[in-house]
Amino acid sequence: MQRRSTALLAGLLTLTLSATTACSGGSGGDSDAKTLTVAYQKFGTFIQMDDLMNKVKGEYEAAHQGWTVKLVPIEASENDYYTKLTLMNRSPNTAPDILYEDTFLVNTDIQAGFLAPLDDYLGKWADWSQFTDASKAAAKGLDGKIYGVPMGTDTRALWYNKDLFAKAGLPVPWQPKTWDEVLSAARTIKQKLPGVIPMNVFSGKGAGEAASMQGFEMLLYGTADTLYDESSKKWLVNTPGFLDSLNFIKTVYGEKLGPEVQDALDPNFGTRLNSELIPENKIAIDLNGSWQSGNWIETGAKPWPEWSKVLGQAPMPTQNGQAPGSTSMSGGWVLSVGSHAEDKQAAFDYVSLALNKENSLAYDIAAGQIAERKDVAEDPKYLNSNPTLRFFTDLVQVTHFRPAYPEYPRVSNAIQVAMEAVMTGQATPEQAMATYGDEVKAAVGPDKVSG
Amino acid sequence: MARRLAIYSALLLIAVCFLLPFTWLLISSVQPGSGLSAKVTWEFSLVNFQDVLNAETVFRPMLNSVIISGSTAIFTAVVATFAAYPLSRYRTRFGRGFLYIILFATGLPITAVMVPVYAMYSRFNLIDSVPATIAFMTASALPFAVWMMKNFMDSVPLNLEEAAWTDGAGWFQSLHRIVLPLMVPGLTVVFIFTFVLQWGNFFVPFILLLSPEKQPASVTIYTFFSQYGQVAYGQLAAFSILYTVPVILLYSAVSKVLGGAFSLTGAVKG
Amino acid sequence: MTATTPTLPPAVRGDTSAPRRDRGRGLRRLVPLLPALVLLALFFAGPMLWSVYTAFTDAALSGSGAVEFVGLANFDRMLHDPAFWNSILLTLIFVVGSAVIGQNTLGLLLALLMRGRNRVTRNVVNGLVLAAWAVPETVAGFCWYAFLHRTGTLNELLQHVGLSQNWLYTAPMVAVIFANVWRGTAFSMLVYDAALSDVPPELMEAASIDGASGWQKLRYVTLPLIRRSIVSNLMLITLQTLAAFGLIFVMTGGGPGNASQTTPLYMYEQSFKFYELSYGTAMALVLLVVGALFSAIYLRLIRLED
Repeated sequence: MQRRSTALLAGLLTLTLSATTACSGGSGGDSDAKTLTVAYQKFGTFIQMDDLMNKVKGEYEAAHQGWTVKLVPIEASENDYYTKLTLMNRSPNTAPDILYEDTFLVNTDIQAGFLAPLDDYLGKWADWSQFTDASKAAAKGLDGKIYGVPMGTDTRALWYNKDLFAKAGLPVPWQPKTWDEVLSAARTIKQKLPGVIPMNVFSGKGAGEAASMQGFEMLLYGTADTLYDESSKKWLVNTPGFLDSLNFIKTVYGEKLGPEVQDALDPNFGTRLNSELIPENKIAIDLNGSWQSGNWIETGAKPWPEWSKVLGQAPMPTQNGQAPGSTSMSGGWVLSVGSHAEDKQAAFDYVSLALNKENSLAYDIAAGQIAERKDVAEDPKYLNSNPTLRFFTDLVQVTHFRPAYPEYPRVSNAIQVAMEAVMTGQATPEQAMATYGDEVKAAVGPDKVSG
Repeated sequence: MARRLAIYSALLLIAVCFLLPFTWLLISSVQPGSGLSAKVTWEFSLVNFQDVLNAETVFRPMLNSVIISGSTAIFTAVVATFAAYPLSRYRTRFGRGFLYIILFATGLPITAVMVPVYAMYSRFNLIDSVPATIAFMTASALPFAVWMMKNFMDSVPLNLEEAAWTDGAGWFQSLHRIVLPLMVPGLTVVFIFTFVLQWGNFFVPFILLLSPEKQPASVTIYTFFSQYGQVAYGQLAAFSILYTVPVILLYSAVSKVLGGAFSLTGAVKG
Repeated sequence: MTATTPTLPPAVRGDTSAPRRDRGRGLRRLVPLLPALVLLALFFAGPMLWSVYTAFTDAALSGSGAVEFVGLANFDRMLHDPAFWNSILLTLIFVVGSAVIGQNTLGLLLALLMRGRNRVTRNVVNGLVLAAWAVPETVAGFCWYAFLHRTGTLNELLQHVGLSQNWLYTAPMVAVIFANVWRGTAFSMLVYDAALSDVPPELMEAASIDGASGWQKLRYVTLPLIRRSIVSNLMLITLQTLAAFGLIFVMTGGGPGNASQTTPLYMYEQSFKFYELSYGTAMALVLLVVGALFSAIYLRLIRLED
């Protein structure tokens, strides 16, 4: 009895110890210099990045004998992806060698020391001259160095369902001149077509950055105000434009012109929107990004061949139609090399392979991106790939960019909190704006805030 | 008689209330293509189980769970046994103080420290390390395990060891040769109790383990829920059942062997 | 069980002190304590001390790597942060609603109702209540998510009376409180079941002979006798509920807005979503201090035997 119990205990102990050590040795970003780890997002209908990374992995491993590419697709909604990536970056043993970065996080991550400057490698890369000057600035740090190679950019506008508009007796093509015209079209839909969600404006914490950018900033940058004043180097709070934008959100959700609040707050709402609501003609107007058709083309997660016939696009008007009449926001994603990467040249080689002409072309078409390589932008395959390309590319003339400062992500979070408080009715727009002001002061320091 | 009827109706009502939240989990797991909506189709199918029974979704996370909870339970049982011996056998002021600290620690809200644990672990580069996660889990399970172990050991009569002591046996020999063989039930309880608690532990691995291939089922099942909870609830239900079954089996096995004692002692850290 | 401790909760009842001899000479005897001491010092006390340090700095999840000492700034911010006070209020509601009132009362009621029932009844009811407690936290969360969802089981039942709605959205606090009562009642039930079995039957008989009603017996005989069990139970379930995270996280994520964002959820959001690691740690410290107070009260109540 006694001997058996001790023997059993000892046996179990060795078993677990060996299991844990085997387990810990198996993975971990940089434990093996011959391995490249690549972290990127894969969520809902967004599968294009996964496709690209799998393709590049094959190409890279074939070209570099003895190297292994370890893909780490992070299955998380947008905000959770950023959190996860940040947590991974903080520890050398989990930091990826190559990472898929939203441009708005680049400066935050540079400041945190997560990213490696690429200037030395870019100088030796012939293709770099193919990138537009604007795109080269997309991942430029405040120190002037370049920290990422752009994959494509985007613009945002109103998508609308022509069939539903015709049924409701609204004009097609539609070109609203002011916010009020947008809202009045939505009200008409609500009245004439019960069961149809008149309009989607992303809002709240669940939608994450989509709420800040596709939702709030598309409104705010159509008013006289912005988030940040470049000349005084201060964040602007308590502005009339901010309040008007929150009031727009309040109208959309308060008058039930938008999706039900409980649905809109779900992080999976974007997935439902792309895979169900829009293809099934259940949403009339959608304030969203240029990439959206990537969901419905043949290679997308929800092929829907009729999309280009059913859906129209209209620029988002400025608040009262003031010059230049319409507005847009642009962002985009880059591939960066992690500062903990042991072999940065190898990591950069992967990035340059992933974004050579062929792969950029394929990705920009599949993911509905606006090309940032001149040779891709001129390629007939790209130009003929998507009937909305001209429309969204032209919006570049009126577009805006998010303030590219390390504090932006925290400001963006405060925007989402304010939106959610307003759409749920937990705070009035005035109260939510006051809270936003306090949050921004706490996040960036009171001396960097005006208003 | 009316009184008895009232009591039985009350018990029935309570039982139904406790059963109801389970129903949809049980039903949707065996319905093909079931979503969140509680429409019963009266179709029986194991397709949901088939869909999740693969390395990626179920096997690897469950194996991770076994490794993490198993190691934690073993380390906890061993360390707690050692610690319980002097606490049970000798009276010292130090031992008494230690017992007070142990009892005090059993009450502290462990989930509250996860943020500082993260801060500390990331400072010392211990994030995403399975052994480091096990070390934290063991430490957090120890106070209660030591307490249980000491109480079990107290019920082992001392006179058996006295002979050994006079023969000059040290603590390890007495513990190993005399006390331990009599403590198999107690050891089993501590082991299984720790195992079950850590099997269900969500917050600790959620914060400390980042790589999907190291995460236990408690974390990956949440990832599955947030990604597919609305569309593939049937699969989530199947996964949940597979993940819960070992716990239920262990509970019932042990409570059969030890009567009510296990559930009673186990209760305190629910 | 000795007469002095008839009402201790089960965990502390096992202290049936085998005769021990004070043979304490030398620290050599404490050698077996070493592994436990080292583990506890490093991985239990370590993070707590670390939290004291971090709470007074401006450590962030991202952004500038330099960590500076900022004194009481995090606590000052907490004082003036309405979202924090909202979370404290919700935590209080959650603890009082689900633990102090819900689990405690239902647990006592179940223990009382089950006295003298037949084996089958006891097994079925016990089994269900214990099952709710045994399932892992996340699974309990999924069960309730599906149960309360707009098209879930509860609404199927309620649609006939026109009350159907998404409870997670319209009444998130009520939803998480009910879920936590469901999940945690087993504990109180076991504590009270054990306590009631220690009440001498002669006392109850005597009371019956004196013509006391069922309620009077409960009020004047049973409750005073199990007084210490009640207090211990309240302390323990409060401690367990104070830092509850997984269940609420799975069911509502703290939303909508911050309608069910208790302090642990707010702490998580500030630390990991909003990158305010030091602010989150300061909140952790507050939770720890509150927990320590309750734990200390509990410790005083149970007193170790000499």
